[in-house]
Amino acid sequence: MTTDARQKTRTPAIILDEVRKVYGTGVAETSVVAVDGVSLRIDAGEFVVISGRSGSGKTTLLNLMAGMAAPTSGAVALDGQDLWSLTDAGRARLRNERVGFVFQFPSLMPSLTALENVMLPVAFGSRRPDAGFAERATELLRTVGIEAKASAYPRQLSAGQQQRVVLARSLINSPRIILADEPTSNLDERTEAEMMELFRGIHHATGVTIVMVTHVSALRSNGTRSMEMADGRLQVDERVGAPGA
Amino acid sequence: MTLIQFALRDISRNEFRSWTVSLAAFMVAGLVLATTLLMQGTGDSLRLTLGRLGADILVVPQGSEERVETALLMGSPTDAWMAETTVDAVRAVPGVAAASPQMYLASLDGASCCSVSSMFIVAFDPATDFTVQPWLEEELGGPLALGEAVGGAFVSEPEEGLRIYGYPLALAANLEPTGGNLDQSMFLTFETAREVARVSVTEAVAPLEVPDGAVSSVLVRIAEGADANTVAGAILAGVPGVGVVMSPEMFESFRQQITTVRDGIALVVGLTVLLSLLLIGIVFSMATHERRREIGVWRALGATQRHVVGSLVAQAVVLAAAGGAAGALFSALGVYLFHDYIVERIGVPFLFPSTPRLALYVLVGLLAAVLVATAGALLPAIRVTRQDPASAMRE
Ligand SMILES: Nc1ncnc2c1ncn2[C@@H]1O[C@H](COP(=O)(O)OP(=O)(O)OP(=O)(O)O)[C@@H](O)[C@H]1O
Ligand SMILES: [Mg+2]
Repeated sequence: MTTDARQKTRTPAIILDEVRKVYGTGVAETSVVAVDGVSLRIDAGEFVVISGRSGSGKTTLLNLMAGMAAPTSGAVALDGQDLWSLTDAGRARLRNERVGFVFQFPSLMPSLTALENVMLPVAFGSRRPDAGFAERATELLRTVGIEAKASAYPRQLSAGQQQRVVLARSLINSPRIILADEPTSNLDERTEAEMMELFRGIHHATGVTIVMVTHVSALRSNGTRSMEMADGRLQVDERVGAPGA
Repeated sequence: MTLIQFALRDISRNEFRSWTVSLAAFMVAGLVLATTLLMQGTGDSLRLTLGRLGADILVVPQGSEERVETALLMGSPTDAWMAETTVDAVRAVPGVAAASPQMYLASLDGASCCSVSSMFIVAFDPATDFTVQPWLEEELGGPLALGEAVGGAFVSEPEEGLRIYGYPLALAANLEPTGGNLDQSMFLTFETAREVARVSVTEAVAPLEVPDGAVSSVLVRIAEGADANTVAGAILAGVPGVGVVMSPEMFESFRQQITTVRDGIALVVGLTVLLSLLLIGIVFSMATHERRREIGVWRALGATQRHVVGSLVAQAVVLAAAGGAAGALFSALGVYLFHDYIVERIGVPFLFPSTPRLALYVLVGLLAAVLVATAGALLPAIRVTRQDPASAMRE
């Protein structure tokens, strides 16, 4: 199967069409063009790693993909849905059901245990949280290798352990897409490698679409496709030697 | 775990917020409850006392109107006398259907039954009475015998027997409480009163003086269809040396007293509510501002604006309910324990409500506290959800 043929049969997970994001509208000198006319199609099942320097617009790009910020112009579709034709609640629901987030900063709720943190997104969903979710959460903690810390509070966990919990949390609602914003920026190299292995393992096991942004270009080899971002534009876009292909 | 449970778990994280919100709620609930208790209680007390008096017009010695009113409401003894002939003169006035005299007496200091220093005693005339008698018929099935008395709610017979001026009285029944010293007053017949006076000469330290041929007041019931104002005017014109108080105007000065107290309290309550709103608003603004990033995370995980506002308000409600419950409890206990002191200070008796009514008022106080907290938390909560989640997450 050629690359072109694959793109036709696969469903798009994320489509950006001429998306621009300008902060600080009004005075031209103070406004920042964080994302500058990006068009992009990411198919279901891809593992895209976008690298770029600090300030190149990576976080903004991820936020635009998830409908967390409105584009100044252009259109965003997530899992086939035009995000900005939805209501705010509709976008929230879409994020809840189909998107998992891993953030650049510590994002666990300090008053909840690891297990409860993993289950938090369930509370925002339309389904009633039941015992099944607790089991699933425990299983996810096992997947990321810290089920022993299920009842620990975030302050009792190392940065690496916290990010593992965050990764488990991103998976609780069986999302179609995981958006990871520099998930290893606070971690040492070994922990970073372990996290990357987890991402690859999850991608391999579930086929979930992953978009990861990072300022470490070396991490690009982890994905199936890599891009480079600079000054709000995507510059390089290439397939990474597909494992097993 | 549901969202509410998550939100509640998070409450204790910000101690400063917890304390200020609960404290504000404590004040609001406490003050609102105290105000309700006082206003309802004084109103109830006035209505009850007025109903018990059961007369359309009260005829008293000229110039003693207010003193007699005070005596009848507060149960504080008074001296007011006028000639017994007044009774017949009043009865002869057109429009008067019934007229019955009463005598107001005072016990010696330190009566054996009660905590009041000097007990208010009402003597009535069974032959003409139309206010006490019907009640006696209902309660006792007959009139009071010589030596029998009806006591206020808190009059009880001590072990060594009830004695006034050395005369032993039998307590035949107790009246409902009215919330003032009247609950420690006593009703007996003219005949018994004269007997007490007679015996007191030899048995008491100081004798009870019941002036011969004198009464303290005449209770008047007007004829059906007669106009109270006209009848009162006719009494004033036809009977020399008397003053009249009409039922609707009875206790008017007390009502004014209540109004003054109420206006004062209303101001305090209003200010407290306003300050609480402001305080809770500011504290919640600060708290939600501090948590903008976390709220951004919530939004990323799929929380709607409603989820965020809901859980912030839920936290406010829980804090307010806790603080408000404590405030209501404190307030109810305070009003209950300092009842007599409050009556003395505001000069109007008030009734502490029955338990179901109290529960209702407590609920009113709690509701006030919760509403104030909700209003205070709502604005900052809505404001933080107005910005897009991405900017909320950026610090
Ligand atoms: N809410 C905002 N208001 C104003 N400017 C913003 C806002 N968010 C981002 N920017 C600006 O947009 C540009 C891109 O920011 P962004 O956070 O997307 O970069 P990034 O690649 O994620 O950087 P980093 O690696 O430091 O996280 C930066 O110049 C930043 O200052
Ligand atoms: Mg970033």
